[in-house]
Amino acid sequence: MKKKILIIDYGFGNLFGLQKALTHAGANAGISENPCDMQSADALVLPGVGAFGGGMAEMKKRGFKQPILDQVAAGKPLLGICLGMQFLFEKSYEFGEHEGLGILEGEVKKIPVTAGSQCKIPHIGWNALLAPGKGGVFASKLLAGIKPHSQTYFVHSYAGYPSRTDDIQANTCYYDSVFPAVVARKNAFGVQFHPEKSGETGITLLRNFLSLS
Amino acid sequence: MPAIGASRLPVFCASARPGRIFLAVYYIFMNSIRVIPRLDVKGPNVIKGVHLECLRIVGDPEELATRYYHEGADELIYMDIVASLYGRNNLLDILEKASENIFIPLTAGGGIRSLEDIKRMLRAGADKVAINTHAVRNPGFITQAAQAFGAQCIVGSIEAKRISDNRWEAYTDNGRVETGLDAVAWAKELVQLGAGELLVTSIDQEGTTKGYDTDLIKQIAPHVSAPVIACGGAGKSADLAAAVLVGRADAVAAAHIFHYKKYTIPEVKQALQEEGIPVRIPVSAKTA
Amino acid sequence: MSDRTPQYGLPRQVAFCTKCVIPNTRPTASNEYTHHKARGHDYIQFDKEGVCSACRFCDAKFDGTIDWKKREQELLELLDKHRSKDGSYDCLVPGSGGKDSIYASHILKDKYGMHPLTVTWAPHLYTDIGWKNFQNWAHIAGHDNYLFTPNGEVHRLLTRNAFLNLLHPFQPFILGQKTFAIKMAARFGISLVFYGPSPGENGSNMPIGQREYVLKGAEQKNHESKGYRLDYVDNTADYNAIYLGGKKVADYLQEGLSEGDLAPYLPLDPRLAREQNLSFHFLGYYLRWVPQECYYYAVDHAGFEANPMRSEGTYTKYSSLDDRTDGFFYYTTYIKFGYGRATQDAAQEIRHRHINREEGVALVNRFDGEFPKKYFKEFLEYIDVTEDKFWETINAFRDPLLWKQENKEWQLRYKVH
Repeated sequence: MKKKILIIDYGFGNLFGLQKALTHAGANAGISENPCDMQSADALVLPGVGAFGGGMAEMKKRGFKQPILDQVAAGKPLLGICLGMQFLFEKSYEFGEHEGLGILEGEVKKIPVTAGSQCKIPHIGWNALLAPGKGGVFASKLLAGIKPHSQTYFVHSYAGYPSRTDDIQANTCYYDSVFPAVVARKNAFGVQFHPEKSGETGITLLRNFLSLS
Repeated sequence: MPAIGASRLPVFCASARPGRIFLAVYYIFMNSIRVIPRLDVKGPNVIKGVHLECLRIVGDPEELATRYYHEGADELIYMDIVASLYGRNNLLDILEKASENIFIPLTAGGGIRSLEDIKRMLRAGADKVAINTHAVRNPGFITQAAQAFGAQCIVGSIEAKRISDNRWEAYTDNGRVETGLDAVAWAKELVQLGAGELLVTSIDQEGTTKGYDTDLIKQIAPHVSAPVIACGGAGKSADLAAAVLVGRADAVAAAHIFHYKKYTIPEVKQALQEEGIPVRIPVSAKTA
Repeated sequence: MSDRTPQYGLPRQVAFCTKCVIPNTRPTASNEYTHHKARGHDYIQFDKEGVCSACRFCDAKFDGTIDWKKREQELLELLDKHRSKDGSYDCLVPGSGGKDSIYASHILKDKYGMHPLTVTWAPHLYTDIGWKNFQNWAHIAGHDNYLFTPNGEVHRLLTRNAFLNLLHPFQPFILGQKTFAIKMAARFGISLVFYGPSPGENGSNMPIGQREYVLKGAEQKNHESKGYRLDYVDNTADYNAIYLGGKKVADYLQEGLSEGDLAPYLPLDPRLAREQNLSFHFLGYYLRWVPQECYYYAVDHAGFEANPMRSEGTYTKYSSLDDRTDGFFYYTTYIKFGYGRATQDAAQEIRHRHINREEGVALVNRFDGEFPKKYFKEFLEYIDVTEDKFWETINAFRDPLLWKQENKEWQLRYKVH
């Protein structure tokens, strides 16, 4: 039986590539604008591309905010991708101060750039996933079968920083900055990169997510 | 060692393989240089011109894209090279098919004239769109598009022809129509207008395999905050290295060497690695 | 249908080829030496299915009708007969250093071991890109070349007359170029001259089996097409029967020009040509000619560079790049016959399967007839004609069959679709 995955459509993000990648990973992947559809799904994916404030406003407007919080509280796995991951946090400082979903404690801030460095923002391109602890391996089941230093595709200017370091499952390092690439707390997962654009590494991650559902 | 990256002491993060600590640290504090095959498309075929002229058919888009994905391409660029010329758009089928099985970023360009065009491309599977001709005619379009879809989705595409030692002119319509614009200034303006990335193609070099126009790239890449993809002229792996080390490109696009099978992607990446340039070697990449 | 009497013997009913975009108003080549004001032409033939002779000709290149192995064999036999053993030139390739002549001379040298001499009649006014490519023909592709630049005063006078009398400013150039090649072949004792593709590929109604031009008056009395022969006159001394720029040579001499001034344009005595056994073959008969492939070949072997921008009046960058006045050759064709440069390029590309008819139509409707304004001033100075006189002449040559005037704007009556 294929896992039924619902991609939340709140008007932001390229959903079709994501749907195809999830399908390729073995899911029965659907897209919906209707919060009620979340109930029957095995797991939820929250995509996102664009600005935090606008995205959260749309989500609220379409009635997704509370239902998402309810579903997650009830134990349903949720994977936030890129902006979707940033929504998991309490607040973001992108173009002002905006409230997030608050599923993870912490904040979203602009990637710091040292004056005079060659660092270009947005952070676009492939970058390595790094194990957070001293052990040098990934503990999270979301990253099963993925070796540290595997590369995934990032496109973002802001990063989410959990207050609880235990929530950090993988980091990435861009010039002088280290910031989380994978976060997780119980059944809520977030990836700053785009697994649907990260080749076979990304597909592996999506498969892992399916098996957690 | 090549002089790229920040002038500060590198931050040491995570483990590095013993004996290669310096290189590993180098790799760690900047992300990889992307190697991007470019597919010029006319109708159902991939073609390869010289100086953006003529239409020799070199392959099938699906076949080539699939091969490049499995070899470890970091992204793909699809350019419909006759869209502006003929006033039509034709990439949607190709993008839809590609996104079934290819899970790396896809950039689509050629004849994009409206927000509706962009939407259609994204729905079909493109992650980014490259815009040239219409941006010259209506620069405000770039800003509109960036606001609607996000800057990271909008690639400013420039076709540059050298007109004197240190000056280039921008062209449109697949290198056919002069604009009178200074290509370097125009590139910078595109970023100001909202483009999240730049694709810079040298008309003089493209298709000749005589190397990139590193002078051109160098005038742009270090001076804009957006990443720059160098395009036009790759003939040997040393050319791609030069585009990065001399031109300071953030990514290198090539067509001739891949379509004519002069190099595989792993061979190119290996050569870049040997020059100290960080590249992504995916686990599942088929080696030569 | 119109009641207007067409000039130049234009077909009364304008039609477009159903395969390419060329109209039936495309004239075939004719003997320019007898060309004086407003005479009729022959035109490209369309068959029962409305397909033009050029399309049929080119189809034969691809559909198996022609046995290219056999043709190459014929070439090898021909070349074996002429190949020099003492370092002398064994064939002559007239050309401009454009993609076609580069391909012809280089392949003869490189693949077939010949020792060609290349000869060039200079364009009226070199473009930068044209000069660069011409030089690289010698420097990179590696050929000996004689460049002939005619006396500019004479050339300009003839061109001016040709423009005013015939609206055919390139006539003296075309005449000079052709006769120059013949004379150089005679002078150097090179009996084998290679032109590029057969004129049948563009619509001269030539049969696919014709491999060479012949000199008129030879045995070919029942030849299928009139285009089989090189421009020619019966009596090279009869100055009342030879016209240059639409004016009798006798008149020029009366007005103060000398025979020496006009010599470069006058035809070679045919007896001399026959004595030397001069033969004029189409390399395109022996080797399948694809203009875009000539471009790629020229890029690879001669560092050929395309025009930086599209040529005026068309969308292409790889063809006919060396003369600043080129645009006026195509523009005057557009005025007299109703089709321009884009039509010619698109028709060629359709015939060689690079684009389809729909794409060709889009290109023609977008670019055909564009005025070549870039070198307009230079052209007027070159032929010493005022802008008013220029337009007066242009408008006088618009055939009412093809043109109508609406609110002082001239428009073609027929558009390809």
